[in-house]
Amino acid sequence: MSYAEALRLALRRLRTNPLRTFLTTLGVIIGVGSLVALIGVGQGTQTALTSRIAGLGTNLLSITAGGSVSGGIRGAAGTASTLTIADANAIAKLPGISAVAPEMSVSSAVIVDGRQNTTTSMTGTTAAEALVRNYQIQTGTFLTDLAVSKGLRVAILGPTTVANLNLSPAEVVGTNVTINGIPFTVIGVTQPKGGSGFSNPDDFVFTPISAVQSRFTGAASLRTIGVSVTDPNKIDVVSSEITSLLRLRHQLASSTSSDFSMASQNQLLSVASSTSATLKNFLIGIAAIALLVGGIGIANTMLVSVRERVREIGTRKAIGARRRDIGRQFLVEAIIVTLGGAVIGVLIGMAVTGPVGNAVSVPAKPSLAGIGLAFGSALVVGVVAGYWPARQAARLDPVEALRYE
Amino acid sequence: MVVLSVAPAAADSDLVDSVAEQSAPQPPLLEGRGLTRVFQMGDAEVAALRGISFKIELGENVAIIGPSGSGKSTLLHILGLLDRPTDGQYLFAGVDTDDLDDDRLASLRNRAIGFIFQSFNLVSGESALDNVAAPLVYAGVKRKERSDRARDALVRVGLADRLHHDPSQLSGGQRQRVAIARALVTRPALILADEPTGNLDSHSSGEVFSLLEELQAEGLTLVTITHDQRIANRATRILRVEDGLLTEGDREAPAYLDHAERTRP
Repeated sequence: MSYAEALRLALRRLRTNPLRTFLTTLGVIIGVGSLVALIGVGQGTQTALTSRIAGLGTNLLSITAGGSVSGGIRGAAGTASTLTIADANAIAKLPGISAVAPEMSVSSAVIVDGRQNTTTSMTGTTAAEALVRNYQIQTGTFLTDLAVSKGLRVAILGPTTVANLNLSPAEVVGTNVTINGIPFTVIGVTQPKGGSGFSNPDDFVFTPISAVQSRFTGAASLRTIGVSVTDPNKIDVVSSEITSLLRLRHQLASSTSSDFSMASQNQLLSVASSTSATLKNFLIGIAAIALLVGGIGIANTMLVSVRERVREIGTRKAIGARRRDIGRQFLVEAIIVTLGGAVIGVLIGMAVTGPVGNAVSVPAKPSLAGIGLAFGSALVVGVVAGYWPARQAARLDPVEALRYE
Repeated sequence: MVVLSVAPAAADSDLVDSVAEQSAPQPPLLEGRGLTRVFQMGDAEVAALRGISFKIELGENVAIIGPSGSGKSTLLHILGLLDRPTDGQYLFAGVDTDDLDDDRLASLRNRAIGFIFQSFNLVSGESALDNVAAPLVYAGVKRKERSDRARDALVRVGLADRLHHDPSQLSGGQRQRVAIARALVTRPALILADEPTGNLDSHSSGEVFSLLEELQAEGLTLVTITHDQRIANRATRILRVEDGLLTEGDREAPAYLDHAERTRP
């Protein structure tokens, strides 16, 4: 019997019991559908994370104060006041660096505009911040060198902060607000970077570092220094030069560990992509289990089907079916059920990928690779699930099979 | 009388060719030489056949009769190439079947033997036409020709108006006629009927037997297995199986045989 004949026979057989065929297929539909949808969501997560990190600033080296050892206990990064504006100025003189932004932060800043208010984090910085951290202006202007050198009480707001004040970006520019009770004039709003929830990159207020120092902190210590390097390929060279410079400036003995830490964008990216890859694999794992369960369902139905059709198998053997004809009949039937389920599952998976992504705030879309993977694994599941029942059917002794009640 | 060749029309198998060639000096269609069949039942060995020999010629109408448990089912399975003897030789058209592997036996069953079972053994969910065409699928016959030949066979058994019916929509007699059409469709040399009327009422039984006898008269070899002496009496030769041994039986002629029976040659 050719495969075409086996196919025709299997289709006829499956049509005679549509409900059972559908229920058998359901497991594969769910498995394949979730595989397609979850791969789409996983890839969407990965893309979103990568672009968000890339959006934080290209060529970025971030130096964080900390790592100070007091009484054998290493302080948390950013807690020690080891970085200064002078450090930032010295770094700016190194070769291969295009911009340096010293960053002085006030973690809780209450912005009040008339009756509206919101709490965010404030960073005192310079005009270089826009380049270093990759901010684009939506309306108004960014911090200017003049504002920084004069210590003007001007502020740049993130789009989310503006929204929290129930204002539109256009109307907020030029208004006077108070930050922790001190009056400031809003001069600009940045473009949104996207993302939501924990650590929203669009919720902040930037003010001139000189204003923060004189009005809020009173000290010259920085939490972080953002450095933009000219050539991303030389980021390692630049970072080791900065390390040497800072260790020299901080008068650290060679045996002492550094009182600052440095992270490049690339490191962040690789951490983030490995994290999201783990997440994606986890999602694929869940979907694969669903598909496996679907496969077991098919194997089970096929075994029952072989039991029910023992006499038919005996009869077919009597009228001339060889072992491989019988085996092929059942194997093809299992594969058709699986592939049929896979087709429906792929369609459903494609349809739900977007909505599922929306539900978890990820721009997810079905990927060709995901569909291919889902289809390929369904085929494997079908062959594996069909093999054992088909073998059982093929090996039945015709005499026993004909006698079977 | 038309003498059918063992080889069906589509004789693309070496085996069938060789069977056909060897039938030139016309060896018996079926020949058993000292057949034994022993079954292992737990620790005990049970001999269902204990050394039987016979010859059945092409075109004969033979009834194999015996009480249940006599070994006649075992003999049927061996005759039909569904089982192999434990010892002894079984020759099909002069070919020692011990030399044939399972696939060759399947091919020989397909082309040279038509089975008729007591419980019809039709596949439900498939039309009469598909049921009849099934052996041709395994013979590798093309779809169009399959359907033509299956239709012809169904017309031959008088079911021209039931081609697309499911077996469940047919009466017992009609089902058995579908089964006969399925047995005929490969144009076999031998029809093996196992209690063919066991599940039928007397009217349907009569129809089915008349049909089988017509086919036999056209040249087919008919071997009927039964435990019913009245059915056996319709054959031209009776083989009696008892306790695993075979004897030539007598044709008893009970008084109730009808006129047609008595006037048969």
